[in-house]
Amino acid sequence: MQWINLFLANLWKEYLEMKRYLPNTIALVLTFYFIFLGLFGVIHFFGDPSTQDVNIQFVIVNYIFWFLALSVIQMFGFEIVNEAIRGTLEQLSMSPMGIWRILSTRLIASTIIYGIIIFVLLIITMLTAGQWLNIDILSIFPIFVLTVFGMYGVGLMVGGLAIVYKQIQAFLQILQFLLAGLTFIPLAASPFMYFLPFVIGVDLVRDIMIGGQTLIDIGWLPLTILFINAFVYFIAGLLFFNYCERMAMKKGLLGQY
Amino acid sequence: MEKIIEISNLTKTYRKRKSREVIQAVNDVDFNVYKGEILGLLGPNGAGKTTTIKLICGLLYPDSSEIKIKGIPNTDSRLESLQYISAVLEGNRNLYWRLTVRENLEYFAGNRGRSRKEVKEEIDKLLQMFRLKDKENELVNRLSRGMQQKLAIAVAMLANTEVMLLDEPTLCLDVQTGLEVREILKSIVSNYQRTIIISSHDMDVIQDICDRTVIINQGTVVIDQRVDELIKLFEVRSYRLTLTEPLSLDQQKAISTRFPTNEYVEDQAYSYLTVQLEKSEDIYQIFQVLQLNRTPIDSIDRKAIRFDEVFLKIIQGDHQYAMD
Repeated sequence: MQWINLFLANLWKEYLEMKRYLPNTIALVLTFYFIFLGLFGVIHFFGDPSTQDVNIQFVIVNYIFWFLALSVIQMFGFEIVNEAIRGTLEQLSMSPMGIWRILSTRLIASTIIYGIIIFVLLIITMLTAGQWLNIDILSIFPIFVLTVFGMYGVGLMVGGLAIVYKQIQAFLQILQFLLAGLTFIPLAASPFMYFLPFVIGVDLVRDIMIGGQTLIDIGWLPLTILFINAFVYFIAGLLFFNYCERMAMKKGLLGQY
Repeated sequence: MEKIIEISNLTKTYRKRKSREVIQAVNDVDFNVYKGEILGLLGPNGAGKTTTIKLICGLLYPDSSEIKIKGIPNTDSRLESLQYISAVLEGNRNLYWRLTVRENLEYFAGNRGRSRKEVKEEIDKLLQMFRLKDKENELVNRLSRGMQQKLAIAVAMLANTEVMLLDEPTLCLDVQTGLEVREILKSIVSNYQRTIIISSHDMDVIQDICDRTVIINQGTVVIDQRVDELIKLFEVRSYRLTLTEPLSLDQQKAISTRFPTNEYVEDQAYSYLTVQLEKSEDIYQIFQVLQLNRTPIDSIDRKAIRFDEVFLKIIQGDHQYAMD
């Protein structure tokens, strides 16, 4: 029950802050949409006409996952830095629920809110592009959850760095491009991609949304690999975060910015 | 009395980032906190007060020893021990400025696993108690500093913990709000049976509301005593003699030899001699000196001493004398 109350409190706070910072939220959504329009225009006017439809569909899925990965992975770091600047990080650390639980529930809450925004944007981008992807919710949902779970693990690692070093904005800028690479490069490019976080999840979603496959078509092996991949990254992220939190407490860096 | 917090042989060192120089922030600190008391933690800037508070809150790990909160070691079982502690560490900066007063209270309660429904009545009571009811839907960034400070304390209250730690609770508050906060803190202890630890530079606050004070200097506890006893200790030994004739040079010399910290002032009508006595019976030594010239005494007064003077004496190394 405590977990549910914790989650509801953070969902409520995320919603309120999004409402209070409405211009910022609108700017974020519009930026996302206009960047997509730019990509669409490039493919439409300069791309190979014979593969244009597939390319556009590919860009829609990748772009949406890039946006999601950016939101989920960077948010841990941003939240920690913002809380340290505000002066509330130590206050959160004094909750018997533990800071990682608070930030995780906040992250789940914002994933839900961003998930809704992304879904609306997906519909708008498909309308704009005139390309309709296969939105098979039953097949996409479990893969989506596992993929996001793996992203949380990477987010926790970024959060761990933020809790010790705080000034990680430059690193987060670079991270954007690394995440673009992970979401845009297909799994077939290299077998090593299986070991990287969430690449397999994005690839499976592409198979469903562009290739029209179902969970049964995909089979148990890729799903098992996705599960192991997500689980390993999440556990590694959690261990790393706790290690960094302990280090910050030993060195007295927790509330410093 | 029941011990709520036990601190023994607490040590914490830091290493400076650039020079790698080791700083001893807290050195072998020992004291206990008892249920239902208001303890004042005092010390000059850089003495180790904030480090001690953060160690108690589990926000820092000690180099050696441990702190027990209700018998639970706060390093090994940090989250469990935090069930008994709440704190206001940075005053109004502990709040979310883009949330309202009520939303802040609800959010922080939620972070301790409590639902909005469950805390609704408690929040109503706290808003009344802290006189924030008419501001409950106001964004925090629109409140005065005093109101923000009261809200931060209300947030800590809502945590329903046995111990509350307050770092400079009256800092930057106007006189009226400062007094209001003092009254609130007193009522928290008497009506809600909480234990409060206050770190402050405001000696009036400590003297007014604290039962006991722990004074830290250069990372070490130099005094752990009841506030009233501490004042009495200095008070009874500080005397001011008003003389109707001036002291001769020989008399002044004799007084200075026996009481090096004496203060002697003359004006046209009277002479004033202020002395600190190590033992009450030392006053007879002064009478002996005065008797040499049969200097008439107009009055002898016990000098009233303020708590900030006591604090300064202790910090300046007079604590050995006080501990006699």
